[in-house]
Amino acid sequence: MSRVPFLDVIDRTFEGKYMSQEDFEMKIFVPELRKVVEKYKIKFDPQVLIPDDDDLADRIFQAGLEFYLNVGTYCVNTERVIAFTEKEIIDALRSAPDKVAFGEGRDLRWLKSRRPESDVPPFCFLGAVGIPVSSDEVFVNLIQSFSECELTDTITMPSITKINGRTVRPNSPFEVMAAIRSARLFREGTARAGRPGIAAMNAIACASSDVAKIAGSHYLKPTDGWMIGSTAELKVETPRFNEIAYVRDIGGRILAETTPLLGGYCGGPEGVAVASVAYHLHGLLVLRGDCQLHCPLHLKFVCATAPPVLWALSAGTQAITRNSHSPMMISPFLAAGAMEEMCFLEGAAAVTAVVVSGSNLEAQVSHGGATPDLTGPLTPQFSAEVGHAVAGMTRKEANEIVVKLVEMFKSDLGNAPEGKLYQEAYDMKTGKPLPETQMKYDEMKKKVGEMGIPFTY
Amino acid sequence: MGDHELLEKMSQAIIALDKDAAVAAAEEAVAANMSPLKAIEEGLQPGIQTVGHRFEAFECFLPELIGSADAFKAAMDVLEPVIAKMSKNQKSSGTVVMGTVKGDIHKIGKDIVVLLLKTRGFKVIDLGEDISASGFLKAAKKHDADIIGLSALLNTTMPAQQEVINLFSEEGVRDNFTVMIGGAPVSQKWADEIGADGYAKTAEEAVKLALDLMKKKAA
Repeated sequence: MSRVPFLDVIDRTFEGKYMSQEDFEMKIFVPELRKVVEKYKIKFDPQVLIPDDDDLADRIFQAGLEFYLNVGTYCVNTERVIAFTEKEIIDALRSAPDKVAFGEGRDLRWLKSRRPESDVPPFCFLGAVGIPVSSDEVFVNLIQSFSECELTDTITMPSITKINGRTVRPNSPFEVMAAIRSARLFREGTARAGRPGIAAMNAIACASSDVAKIAGSHYLKPTDGWMIGSTAELKVETPRFNEIAYVRDIGGRILAETTPLLGGYCGGPEGVAVASVAYHLHGLLVLRGDCQLHCPLHLKFVCATAPPVLWALSAGTQAITRNSHSPMMISPFLAAGAMEEMCFLEGAAAVTAVVVSGSNLEAQVSHGGATPDLTGPLTPQFSAEVGHAVAGMTRKEANEIVVKLVEMFKSDLGNAPEGKLYQEAYDMKTGKPLPETQMKYDEMKKKVGEMGIPFTY
Repeated sequence: MGDHELLEKMSQAIIALDKDAAVAAAEEAVAANMSPLKAIEEGLQPGIQTVGHRFEAFECFLPELIGSADAFKAAMDVLEPVIAKMSKNQKSSGTVVMGTVKGDIHKIGKDIVVLLLKTRGFKVIDLGEDISASGFLKAAKKHDADIIGLSALLNTTMPAQQEVINLFSEEGVRDNFTVMIGGAPVSQKWADEIGADGYAKTAEEAVKLALDLMKKKAA
């Protein structure tokens, strides 16, 4: 019993069934997904955002497994379908590790699988989630602040966008330099915080080309993480296999990153929940994930806090965590920008859904993650505090809180406030929150606490 | 069957995403000597616009949008030879050259904009993904485009939008074309910074922007 060898997967990118991308999307992916949603009677209930129906979760898992068996993964470059047998899928599930170590020395942390309603606190992968930053100074300040947070298990770093004032362009020397600089500045930031062994798990955030990632990785360690992503939906590009070949050789850990889109080829929440299971299997078999990072998104609002996405996130996660021991994390994107009241409310709702459904946590992207410097340490810290608080909460209890929270922001999802830039909310010299920032955080923690989140930090 | 019923039949076939029914209805229109322009403007377009509006309201999703576009195209394939014979063209809202910029292979957002633009009467030249600045320039000239649409989904590929605009300026043709940009990391601030004529956050906003830009161009 073991996972299909990596070289066999590469063979299938050349020898699998030939198919145009359009046919894969519209003649295979869409109808097969609809077929299993109907067959397994999976239905979104807008009144229950965190279902506590184990049978529903297991039906979603069976639907996802059957769907992936029938569909496989599409290789965009070779136009071939990478397919697996049922035995290969089951073997991959059984042989997957149930825990992965990141970091070293006293900063070593274990990412472990969780189950719905588990009282084990979530692994907290905190930071800027690739959000662009305008300067090296902001980058180092952020890494230091993220490292200083007691609940940070590993760090998700921002993206450098400038090299000596020059814009970083893809596939250019500037991109290679940015990748190298990111890795070096990361170590500088963690050392300043006295946590030199803490791992970066999205190395290298600013790099898109193979050469830039490999160049930057000279300053990283095998105990850091390599995030390897898919293309929506259930597609992979051959450069990802180049990365996997490299990371395997250095003994690195792979986070298989997947992003099903609600409103896209998956259709509605039922499709996203089922596709999440298929993505989990794709992450194990194709992306060779040691663990999984899942980011379901609303196509229109670019967030995970719209009610149908929250349901899909919760139901899909329960399906996975009840039936697979491969550790998973979810990165719930928020519609509002950092330090906005709505951002805190969304964060509380999304993190509660993530944690009680059995996942670990990556935090925090806000307002699409696109505006340079729209980040800061207090928002991810708040998410981690919510995550620790709700560990062990029942799904029923969590649902009541989440439904109340969602009512407070759902009408603003299409017009969410932008939030505060790092420079507007923190002291650039000390990295500490400005008094009004600290006041807002304290106020929101009190407000969310009064709504039923039993903070322990 | 009267014109009204036939036009309704065409429209309903598009809404039902029924390619065969759309083709059959278009063939009936041709057999009945209905003006193909009328068939398009009063039969097919209202149907695809209905689906487009439903998509905007999230009452249906991308597969339905694509299905309606496929049915629309199949019916158009029946009508186009008749139109060619008449040497007339469908009233066009304008010509858009659209693509995802160099270094970026993301397509879904761009594809949705392409589909929605078509529903509003634009002729769209979809160049695909990973398109160089010179690729946009050549296509803009070749198709005598009104609008150039530049999509970028990565922070690292946003500068490629600027490169396209810079190349158009260097070649002295910047003022001949209207440039609109979009993509998750893009903002109005970025559009202002690089000298784009417009920015749209969503696919629906992109269509409204394109229509507004064409009005400005005509004024």
